[in-house]
Amino acid sequence: MRREKLNEKYSKEEQVDAFVFRTKLSEKQIQEADNELFLARKKAKEQLNENQILYAKVQQLKFLIEDYAKSNTYNKDFSFAYFLRKYIKLNYKINKNFAKDIELAETELSSILNKGRTPNKKTIVRLELHSNNTISAVSWYKLLEKQKEYELQTDKESRLKESKHVKNCLVFDI
Amino acid sequence: MQKITHLETSAKKDIVIELVSEEDFKSITKAKYFFDWKKEKENLIYKLRIDGADEILGLMAIKHFEQEERCEIKLLSVSKENRGQNKKYKDIAENLIAFACREAVKNYAENACVSLFPKTELKSHYIEKYGMLDAGKQVFLEGISLFRLLKKNEL
Repeated sequence: MRREKLNEKYSKEEQVDAFVFRTKLSEKQIQEADNELFLARKKAKEQLNENQILYAKVQQLKFLIEDYAKSNTYNKDFSFAYFLRKYIKLNYKINKNFAKDIELAETELSSILNKGRTPNKKTIVRLELHSNNTISAVSWYKLLEKQKEYELQTDKESRLKESKHVKNCLVFDI
Repeated sequence: MQKITHLETSAKKDIVIELVSEEDFKSITKAKYFFDWKKEKENLIYKLRIDGADEILGLMAIKHFEQEERCEIKLLSVSKENRGQNKKYKDIAENLIAFACREAVKNYAENACVSLFPKTELKSHYIEKYGMLDAGKQVFLEGISLFRLLKKNEL
């Protein structure tokens, strides 16, 4: 559709609500535009305070958790403890102070971070509250669930052990 | 979860934004989505659909400039039925732009930037509608303007 026809059919507001068009600028013009953008971005960056920077970092972690939790792949490095460690580091120099702020025994936090201990419901809810509801308890829970799902899928030892306690298994003649 | 509004009933619908598959290109026609989207294959092309439905309501091509911690919206279009006065759903383009912001924050945290080249006559409208900032030939979202759009779209 030619530009004139498009302008006849849709108002400018409607076009902005429906399209981003390809740029027809030359390489040189794009380079100039990128230089302008660089300067404009500098100004926007300078306006950010420490609190807003922290907000951006928490948001980043939230999106990483969400995307990993819903992905079909399992990565043993991306455990609950891995993401919790990252979360704590955003605003604390030592774990002890974080444990204090969510009223969790330091030893319990250490077990969660280093020994794979499963955090209880209260702890997960406190994590949500501590992030000012940015990272939901459900997101934290989904990380645990993903871990458990993998463990259950790959646990041959339990299957061998439990097979002694199962009789008259269903048999299908297909 | 991001949502769009069905204008006739005012019902909010959960949406999914994900990368297009090769199979999708069979239904991505110029008649419905305005541009030749096959030309964008070198970029990341995302589609927007209602959760549980297959129909693509909007498309967006973005390119990451990692060294600049920025992603650029190269192309965007909502489906024919969702443009102009008689559109069925509103906020499709805004949700796609907000999703680009999400991708930028996921990759670049506090330095995240989303930019685009507007047609000259549309520049002020992008600024007004999406809270974008003026950088001459480009408009962009960064810092507070970007966070606001994320929040507005429940991200």
